[in-house]
Amino acid sequence: MNLSIVIPLYNEEESVDALHAEVTAAAGRLDREYELILVDDGSRDRTAEKLRAICARDPRVKVVRFRRNYGQSAALQAGFDQARGQVVITLDGDLQNDPNDFGLLLRHIDEGYDVVCGWRRNRQDRMISRRLPSMAANWLIGRLTGTPIHDNGCTLKAYRLEVVRKASLYAEMHRFLAPMMSLCGSRTREVVVHHRARRFGVSKYGLSRIWKVFLDLLTIKMLLGFTTRPARWFALLSLPFLAGTLLAFATSVYIHFAWTPRNGYPLVFPSATLLFAFAFAHLIVLGFLAELIVKVGDFKESEAVLATVETGGPHADRQTAR
Amino acid sequence: MRIARLRGEPEVSVVIPVVERYGDLRQLYEEFAAELERLGRPAEFLFVVDDSQRGALPVLRALQEESAGEILIVTMGGAFGESAALTLGMEKARGETILTLASYFQVDPRGLAGAFDALERLDGGADLVVGRRHPRIDSTFNRLQSRLFHSVVSRLTGTRFHDISCGFKLMRRRVARELNLYGGLHRFVPLLALSRGFTVKEIPLRQRDEDRGTRYHGTGAYLGRMLDILTVFFLTRFTRTPLRFFGLLGTALFFLGFGIDLIAVVQRAVADQGLADRPILLLGVLLMVLGVQTLSLGLIGEIIIFTHARNIREYRVAEVIRGAGGHRPREVPQPEAESKKAATAS
Repeated sequence: MNLSIVIPLYNEEESVDALHAEVTAAAGRLDREYELILVDDGSRDRTAEKLRAICARDPRVKVVRFRRNYGQSAALQAGFDQARGQVVITLDGDLQNDPNDFGLLLRHIDEGYDVVCGWRRNRQDRMISRRLPSMAANWLIGRLTGTPIHDNGCTLKAYRLEVVRKASLYAEMHRFLAPMMSLCGSRTREVVVHHRARRFGVSKYGLSRIWKVFLDLLTIKMLLGFTTRPARWFALLSLPFLAGTLLAFATSVYIHFAWTPRNGYPLVFPSATLLFAFAFAHLIVLGFLAELIVKVGDFKESEAVLATVETGGPHADRQTAR
Repeated sequence: MRIARLRGEPEVSVVIPVVERYGDLRQLYEEFAAELERLGRPAEFLFVVDDSQRGALPVLRALQEESAGEILIVTMGGAFGESAALTLGMEKARGETILTLASYFQVDPRGLAGAFDALERLDGGADLVVGRRHPRIDSTFNRLQSRLFHSVVSRLTGTRFHDISCGFKLMRRRVARELNLYGGLHRFVPLLALSRGFTVKEIPLRQRDEDRGTRYHGTGAYLGRMLDILTVFFLTRFTRTPLRFFGLLGTALFFLGFGIDLIAVVQRAVADQGLADRPILLLGVLLMVLGVQTLSLGLIGEIIIFTHARNIREYRVAEVIRGAGGHRPREVPQPEAESKKAATAS
């Protein structure tokens, strides 16, 4: 199998037939052997029926139906788990992405990139309510994760299968797919793709809850940098409290010597010193706990790393795939 | 009433945990067995007896001797509680459908027909049918407790059940297999099933007179229940994303403390109010410290999930349909097992 196309669907009864027609037409022009994996994310309308009908007439289609709605990340993960193609392309179920961009994505994969992300430079959405917040979020994600992508929200992406197998998506991780995928050291590339306004229904996935995004970002940041050495990460986190301890301590020393007390020394600053010191010590100790957890866990760094093996010379015929 | 001998495999397994208190087990068995027989459902009965209720064993053994029906008595070696008893009973059950009952009369057996109908109806049968004692005939105090308990539960989990702790539950085997009950989780079976993506239906059942007695519990029991509710709230919403739970709490505490101290500092700078002699400064610092500690515990949670449960998938598949007719509903391999395979295959 050469190519797997994964499409998450949630209440898309109007667009699913058109989607199938467009995608198969575009994929047919690629001249590659492909499969189409449609993930029904617990739709409550007639999507499932339509999918059954599509399945009955197209042997290249595989449908995964969820028991209930689990969100886009889980849907994509289910698609990845089913995918058998060497390259996996994902796109939105609402026809906002143009299947004719497949060729462009695949060209960059063939050039040697592991992840190719679509960038909807000319987004057909409202400026204030959708584009501005998403620009801010993308900037922040880029700064914090070190994978500067203009458009993390674009579902149209292509991956090499090995990269997909290393990732584990859940909750709302689909917002940080490119950074998540770069956990294993993949080469990422961004290309400008077409974007069309919604033809049917309303948008279902929005950047609604900011704090969730922020906390997820913190998780990713931690997973990205320091999963294998958490003690250092916690030590880093404790630095502000070390600073607080020193500052409060210095203040109390200063007060002790510089003031002439009328009715005793104020206890506030020594107490603050102690509190900050507690937090500092707490974080350092938690870091060791985290080390312990990682040590006894089943996480192996070698499994999470994308590696290429090159062989040459006299044994070149025993070439190993990666 | 004579109960006929079971031929072949049972269709329904009735699991009765005898854990806290028990009523007339013989009558309970006879009435439910008779009703199941009337409905034409070959059944087996499993009594799981907690070590603390050994007094029930002679009655059950006598029943086993006398009755022609299939009765299994499982005795637990210690006082392990109801969740353990239910899990044990469900593991030993052979039927495709599992019925759990309280060890005393809560509801009338005549409601069984309706329950089976709700489970099996063609237009969208449920995976789990929960009984609701309705109308309630027991004491005002019991009703008040129950009302309070359920209002907290529905507030926290966003579900609408009226009587989740009713012992009467009829479920498909696949539900029982995924529940994984422990501690006090047996009270929340409908919520756990819902979060696993199963369809759950509540049906009204006539309450029996035997269920009338007022139930008082010690303060410890109520406290324990509140903690159980929180556990379920956490388990059904945040298992995969612990930082969201701890993080929200932690950041809220942190910013509260930060705000308090900021105001104190501004007042010192502008309004010439002393800083060093104000205890509120300490409150602010304390809240900030608490916030960071809570948040960091969430980070520990994330590390646990990442290093121990990377391959657990949160989604549950209803079915996989393959193109051109190859259609297999029912027993789909669930993703945990599958992802391991995928990992080794690649």
